[in-house]
Parts: sequence; C-alpha cells; structure tokens
Amino acid sequence: MHLFRIPYLILSSSLLFMLSCSPAHNQMQSASADVNVLQKFKPAFTVALYNTTVDVMSNHLSGLLLIKKMPDSSTRVVFSNEMGLGFFDFEFAADGSFKVYSIMKKLDKRSVIKTLQHDFELVLMNNLDNSKVEVKTNKGLTYFIFPQSKGFNYYITNQSGHELVRMERASNNKTIVEAVMKNYINGIPDTIGISHKTFEFNIGLKRIER
Amino acid sequence: MRKLLFIFSLLTVAMAANAQYAGYTPVADLVKFKTAFAATALKTTSIKSDFTQDKNLSMLSEKITSKGNFWFKKDSRVRMEYTQPFKYLMILNKDKVYVKDGAKESKVSTKSNKMFQQINKIMIDCMQGTMLDNTDFKTRVFESKINALVELTPVSKGMKEMFKSINVVVDKKDFSVISIQMLELSGDNTIMRFTNKELNASIPDTLFDIK
Repeated sequence: MHLFRIPYLILSSSLLFMLSCSPAHNQMQSASADVNVLQKFKPAFTVALYNTTVDVMSNHLSGLLLIKKMPDSSTRVVFSNEMGLGFFDFEFAADGSFKVYSIMKKLDKRSVIKTLQHDFELVLMNNLDNSKVEVKTNKGLTYFIFPQSKGFNYYITNQSGHELVRMERASNNKTIVEAVMKNYINGIPDTIGISHKTFEFNIGLKRIER
Repeated sequence: MRKLLFIFSLLTVAMAANAQYAGYTPVADLVKFKTAFAATALKTTSIKSDFTQDKNLSMLSEKITSKGNFWFKKDSRVRMEYTQPFKYLMILNKDKVYVKDGAKESKVSTKSNKMFQQINKIMIDCMQGTMLDNTDFKTRVFESKINALVELTPVSKGMKEMFKSINVVVDKKDFSVISIQMLELSGDNTIMRFTNKELNASIPDTLFDIK
C-alpha cells in the first residue's frame, strides 16, 4: 500500500470532478414530507468499533475505526491499523465545527482531510438544519436536500419514509459521493458504505462486537 | 548557590531516569547485558506464542483489545494471526509481506514499502535480539529483578513521524519478549503482550509461505 500516493490521487481526482460535471437529479419535483422521519436514521453512537477497509485507486488499506460520542456531545472518529498504529483522530463537534487531533504525516494534506471530513459528516447526520431543507420526489423516492457550504447533502428515503435508501453528497448537478447505512441494531448501523462517484475511493465499515 | 543548583539538577536528572519506569533501574553494565542478550538470542531459533494487544486511546478513555497467535522462525520470518474480535493475518518472510484482511489478500515487498519495512524490522529485531543494534533508534536499557526494559527512541525521520518510543520488555531468564509497547506522538499507545510462549518449538516452514 503506497500510503504516500493517496493525497495526490484524491487531489487530482477532485480537480477532475470539477471539470467534468453533468446534470443529475434534474427530473425531481417539489414535494412535501415530514423531515423528522430522518431522525430515526441518525446513528445513535455511544461507542462503536468497525472493521474498516479503504480502497483508493487500486490501493487497499484496512484497520479499525472507533466512533465515540463524548460527554460534550462531540463525536470522535479514530482510525488505526490492525497493529494499533494511528491513521487519524477527528472530532465532529455538536456545533458543526471540526478538529483534527492527529493524522499520520503521510495523510496530512488539506484535500484528504476535507474529503474525509465531508464523508463522515454525511453519515453522522449531526448538522441537519430543518429550516433550510428542500423536499423533492422522483421515481417513488423522497429526497431531503440540505444545503452545505459547498453543494448539498441528500438523504433519500422510500415514499413511506420507513427506509433510508441512500445518502448523497452532490454539487449543483452531479453526485460526488453515495453512502448507505444498513442493519441498525439499537440505533447503530451494522454496515456503512461510502463510495465516491468521480474516482475510485471506497470506505467500507462492518461493526465488530467487542 | 550555583554549586547547590548544579547538584540539585544532577539529582533531578538521576531521579527522573530512575523513576521513568516503576520498578526498573538503568542497567549498570550495558556491554555485559548486550553480550548476554545476543548469546541467548542466538540459541533461540523459533518462538510460538499467543498474544493480546491493547490499543489505549488516552483522550477517549477507550481500550481496543484484540487477540491472536504468533510464530517466529529464524531467519526473519514472522506470522501474526489476529483471531478476536476480527480476523487478520500478516506474514513477514524476509523482504516480503503477505496480508489477508477479510477476503482481501495482498502481497508487498518491503523494499518498495517503507512502512512495512520498518514494522518488519522492529518485529524481527525484537525476536532475534538485535534491537540494540538498530540504527533507527537510540536505546536505553533498564532492569528489574526479573525483566529488562529496552527503550527505543526513534532517530530516523520515518520512525520519528510514527512513534514517540517503543518499549520492549524481555525476560532476563531467556531474553524472550514479554511485551512490546508502541507509544505514538498523539499520546495513544499500543501494547502487545506475549503469553504461553514456547521457545524452539518445531514450526513448519510452510506456515510462512507467501505464494
């Protein structure tokens, strides 16, 4: 695993994305639905450990990811390899702010940190401002669209609102990231998948019972 | 007054060195220790053991515990198999590394991957008793009645980026490794404890095969 290559792969792929946007979700129609249906899909992390794989442009990385809700309501996301060597330790605060506690030098690049920050913000569902949500529908699915500082976060449910079909991070006209959370046990998803659409960058999490 | 201050600071330094590891004092005769270590390690051709690994996340007050089996055979062959709470296999065979996590298998050459090369070297050095000669580290040795503690502080750039220090505790009776503790710059640490050790057990070569 050529760890040092990852920052450059992510940066070059982000640039490629900016140059290659194409329309998506443009067949959606405005709709009304209760945004509170999303609350039951928000992961109720106290502390959870995940067996984790990361695939970036044919490079493979694996390890353990710990997600812990702290007493101050922030969420810490810590990733290390199987032998205990730390890759990163991030904090997602309750007020929406983000802090890097530590990151392996080879990964310590702005593009890498921003990408990981946005990926985890999408699945943690911490900062969903209901006052700004836009609701749309298309092909039997309901789209709850939350504007972000750049682009949008989509939470897509079936029509009844009983199933979170997928999540997306998108620009004005193109999906950047798709994510899924499946098999909730006591409010915590057993399986989480994050998949980038503009280049090969996939994160797979499978919960481990300790 | 200056003299008093000088004596006081000398005493403070000496006390700090002694108090750094509870129950341990600096080894008085390092040459003698090295000679005994090397001679005993020379007689150890293989090690079979269980291990328990604790990753301590200091700021989160969390501990991640994993367990598995460990095999070492001269020269430079290590097999580590994590069995709980996840499955992970790593084989180090000279300059080759094989990793299996879940269904995914990968093979890398340590020549092209510095991180694996460094992990490989630490592990092999600890088992072969050559850690005191590793130029990537500055070493200090302490001892208690029954154990010795080798403190490895990185001096090479790559190691400095990963570890604050690595502490290896060995049994003075046979110089076999009791534990390896890796202290990271973040304040987190991982300690691997070896139990049910069998020295010079018969271990088939095929266990280290990388196909």
